[in-house]
Amino acid sequence: MGYGSIVKVPFGPQHPALKEPENFTFEIDGDIIVNVKPRIGYNHRGIEKAMEARTYIQNIYLAERICGICSDAHTTCYCQAIEELLNVEVPSRAKYIRTVIAELERIHSHSLWVGIAAHEIGFDTLFMHLWRDRETVMDILEFVSGNRVHYAMNTIGGVRRDITDEMIPKINSGLNFLEKKIKHYINTISNEPTILKRTVNVGVLKPKDAVELCAVGPTLRASGVKNDVRKDDPYAAYDEVPFNVITNDGCDVFARIIVRCEEMLESIRIIRYALEHMPSGMTRVRVPLVVPPGESVSRVEAPRGELIHYAKSNGTSKPERYKVRSPTLANIPALCKMLMGQHVADIPIVLAGIDPCFACMDRVAIIDLKTGEKKVFNFEVFRRHIQKCYRKH
Amino acid sequence: MLQETLTLLFQLLIFPGAAFLILLAFISEWVDRKVVARIQSRFGPLYTGPSGVLQPIADFLKLLSKEDITPDGVEKPIFTISPIIYFSLSLTALFLIPILSETALVNFEGDLIFLIFISTLITITVFLAGYSSASSFSIIGSIRSALQMLGYEIPLSLAFIGPALAAGTLSLSGIVKWQISHGIWTVFLQPLGFGVILICFLAELEFVPFDIPEAETEIVAGWRTEFSGRKLALLKLGRDLELLLASALTTSLYLGGAQPVSFVPPALTFLIKIFFVVFLFSLFRALFARFRIDQMISGMWKHLIPLAILQILLIILNVGR
Repeated sequence: MGYGSIVKVPFGPQHPALKEPENFTFEIDGDIIVNVKPRIGYNHRGIEKAMEARTYIQNIYLAERICGICSDAHTTCYCQAIEELLNVEVPSRAKYIRTVIAELERIHSHSLWVGIAAHEIGFDTLFMHLWRDRETVMDILEFVSGNRVHYAMNTIGGVRRDITDEMIPKINSGLNFLEKKIKHYINTISNEPTILKRTVNVGVLKPKDAVELCAVGPTLRASGVKNDVRKDDPYAAYDEVPFNVITNDGCDVFARIIVRCEEMLESIRIIRYALEHMPSGMTRVRVPLVVPPGESVSRVEAPRGELIHYAKSNGTSKPERYKVRSPTLANIPALCKMLMGQHVADIPIVLAGIDPCFACMDRVAIIDLKTGEKKVFNFEVFRRHIQKCYRKH
Repeated sequence: MLQETLTLLFQLLIFPGAAFLILLAFISEWVDRKVVARIQSRFGPLYTGPSGVLQPIADFLKLLSKEDITPDGVEKPIFTISPIIYFSLSLTALFLIPILSETALVNFEGDLIFLIFISTLITITVFLAGYSSASSFSIIGSIRSALQMLGYEIPLSLAFIGPALAAGTLSLSGIVKWQISHGIWTVFLQPLGFGVILICFLAELEFVPFDIPEAETEIVAGWRTEFSGRKLALLKLGRDLELLLASALTTSLYLGGAQPVSFVPPALTFLIKIFFVVFLFSLFRALFARFRIDQMISGMWKHLIPLAILQILLIILNVGR
């Protein structure tokens, strides 16, 4: 840590601030970061390949398991892509139910994140209290879908469960409690000097940089750019529900916290509206198991930002190619920009600021450790390469 | 002669000596954990003993039985000896504190200076322990703890001197005696000094908002990262003793120390007071986010040192003597 000389500090893949394995190499001058080299790809799970080997129905459950937090966003996105291929129109009641679940998920994801952010700056009390109150939304989700994490609500052509009128008062009472609590937390966060000291003007991302580096989601909106798939390219029932796109001109970590907190309040309003104006009718339509050939792209505003799914069908019951672009991947270049010029002590909170979900993002990359070059293999060459490696050791 | 020796040995080793102090240290850790847990709306230790009061002891025993790993590349002699020094420094300092009566087990004119010296030495041991570990997290942690010392050492010493000036003695026992004979606690005369000493001890104990040297999300366990097994057990015990030392010192300097109240023995009032101070520490620990090291040092120099000096000036000007 000598002053005047540049020191390389590795951060991860095993580090308490990172909940998932990922490596960042920081070049540090004194206490200031002058360069960041991210190395992603530690957590490749082969989900895209696995999807090609399963039927469209099985893939709903696989898509759900891409992420443990935005599980509903992934299935919505998947089902939309396949529905487009099938040319099926989802019943409007199903669209409203999808909206309700998506917003409930946004509340749970954002409150989880605000808790993590508090933990990263050492404010464990806020972390514990937030997570305690987060249980309310988890209970609502369990009450509606039967599950706390993987709701399994979406299916191709609609939703699997209905939200009946008897359920609505219970959901509403939970929402009222949450609204009161979230307002209390916004008040606490904006008035607690130690939080302000650690978050204001930390991890600044100027609006111009945010757009240039293709940041998405709350990270982009906290830089004052009004961009939301729900508004720009409405899916589910978002074209019928009135809501505001929350932005903040702070451009720093504090702005990201406030944007997420206010989005929770906005989500509560959306859910209330959707529950009140829910049309009657069917919740799903039956669809054929075989999908006609074609390609489709589907976009969803996941809690972390814009999520893109691409599906290619060859006319069988299994997709030929499936591709997931999770929001974390889009935020990595912006993250590197934010980290520049920061103090070492601010690394965890800035890193957490984009709400990273590395496991959703990682794809395999084969790197020769000796030469450092990246290679692309097809399966046969890759198999031979692995065998050669094993023989050597 | 023999009986005197035996009594002294009993006092040093068992009551109110080493064994009693260590037990007290474990209990103060339990109080701290329980208070923080309740504030954070958790339960804290629950199962070992009534309300989990034996949990710190169980943790200690378990750590003793764990494998003791010495990583490659550490400075072996310092790495091995620093946990022992860390633990024994706090224990030594505790002998100077009057617990059973207004006179401490060991006391001499000027022991306050010795206590200041020990509290500095503890930080230097921490620095050495981290620096000898040869791990980047430990080194950053130990540098931070040394930097942090630059921030809190001067106000802490000034807050030690305040009561001494008022009582006109440099002996801790003398300060306690002065408070008892005048029938007033120093905290009412020097509230500024009390605030300063609490904040400085938070920094010395590495409690939030000053847990910078062991910031979990930044540098794992800071200077303690590479220690395991018996060494970690000793470090943890040392830390508990440090907590006890900090609260006992605050009690003796500002809250009247071991003071007899009608039929209540002085030891009991002392215990109640130190647990109250531990409660204060835990309360602060749960209420803030962590500062950054530069914010902490500039805050200490800009706000805390002027306050401490103001307190000394007030005493010299005969306000609150």
